[in-house]
Amino acid sequence: MIELEKIFTNRKLLVKHVSEISPWLQDSNASSITGGISQAERQLQDIDPIEYCRTRNFLNGKVTKLSPYIRHGMLTLDRVRNEALSLCKDPQQIEKFIQELAWRDYWQRIYQRHPTHIWDDIESYKTGFQADEYEDELSADIATANTGVACIDQFIETLLRTGYMHNHTRMYVAAYIVHWRRIKWQAGAKWFLHHLIDGDPASNNFSWQWVASTFSNKPYIFNLDNVRKYAHAEINTNSSENAVLDASYEILTLNLFPNKGTEQ
Amino acid sequence: MTALVWLHEDALRHDHPVYTAAGEDVISCFFWDEDYLQKMDYGFKRLVFIYETLCELPVTIIHDSTVEGLIRLAENQSCETIYIPATPNPLLQEIIVELEHRLLVVIVEDTPFVSLTKDLDMKRFFRYWNKAKKLAMQPSDS
Ligand SMILES: Cc1cc2nc3c(=O)[nH]c(=O)nc-3n(C[C@H](O)[C@H](O)[C@H](O)COP(=O)(O)OP(=O)(O)OC[C@H]3O[C@@H](n4cnc5c(N)ncnc54)[C@H](O)[C@@H]3O)c2cc1C
Repeated sequence: MIELEKIFTNRKLLVKHVSEISPWLQDSNASSITGGISQAERQLQDIDPIEYCRTRNFLNGKVTKLSPYIRHGMLTLDRVRNEALSLCKDPQQIEKFIQELAWRDYWQRIYQRHPTHIWDDIESYKTGFQADEYEDELSADIATANTGVACIDQFIETLLRTGYMHNHTRMYVAAYIVHWRRIKWQAGAKWFLHHLIDGDPASNNFSWQWVASTFSNKPYIFNLDNVRKYAHAEINTNSSENAVLDASYEILTLNLFPNKGTEQ
Repeated sequence: MTALVWLHEDALRHDHPVYTAAGEDVISCFFWDEDYLQKMDYGFKRLVFIYETLCELPVTIIHDSTVEGLIRLAENQSCETIYIPATPNPLLQEIIVELEHRLLVVIVEDTPFVSLTKDLDMKRFFRYWNKAKKLAMQPSDS
């Protein structure tokens, strides 16, 4: 029984140590997102739930980035909610923020009820396709951020570099994988769980199923105009470099789900 | 008598109710279990995040398989009871079942976000939210 070191003079040495005790991994690049209860506390002190409700859908909006700390139990949803309420006069001002915390609670409760079904389709796809018409594996171009769709590649690069993604970019990338590339949600979910520091079987897998339509009433899709609305200047939203996304919802629905109208 | 607390990756904090349940005389440990970490398929960034957190916590990090390590530790320290934070993770639950063959196991739930009946209709989020909203929108006593 070996007791491992806990005191390091700097982060570089800690990272080196973790690399030594995880020899099965090729990667040895840490994220700029740091662990620790003190960091969780600092980030909790920095939340602005009122501004959150106004800007959360924008890729540079005032989201909290608390997810890795909540995922690993360093902060409870109860604690975050109480802190948020202490920052506003009227709870209604921050309903959207509390509702997002509730999404996590909701997914966790379903997971607790059926822990071993976390990789199963909850319902069938509502896309006009059967589950076996989707590919089982993620393609290499997706895994390496080389899809040729400029904004999607930028979102994937962020995931690979930082281990974090904004909720909206998770939705875009998941929809691109399941609906544009017709790959099973399970393949994308497994890949996200490997890379996300906040990767959580319930929040992740059920969100993928929500996008895929196996846990929602219709598939989630987006178009380039939607990305333009929420992105910031660093995201490449040129039409020519994002051609497959550049269409109206009507046209995309016809192209992506050609059998949908003929379903029973 | 000394109690053993096994802190796993779903509950990395020192004020988890598991500590209140275990009492003052506790040995608290985390297992760097290679088999488990590989099965979870965590990337390097996550492992660093977890390790950094452990360095700040009053736990011993032990490089060993969880089940054998915990049983040995319990024997060495004459601990009969092991306290474990509740988790839905099936792999952790498998470990807990194995431990239950050898030790007295006490599972301790974390502070809930809202207290609701277990048979709640959860087919869609808004069915849950309609029931949860009133409680969720007010501060708890904790
Ligand atoms: C395809 C996909 C995969 C996802 N995978 C994960 C995952 O593995 N782990 C994870 O924690 N979240 C996941 N989410 C949910 C959500 O994207 C993240 O929780 C959020 O983006 C984390 O950033 P934040 O902490 O800044 O969130 P904020 O917007 O600041 O929200 C605060 C907290 O509320 C919770 N929360 C917010 N939105 C959601 C949501 N839609 N569902 C569940 N909880 C939410 C999180 O705990 C979050 O930390 C996923 C969403 C999608 C669409």
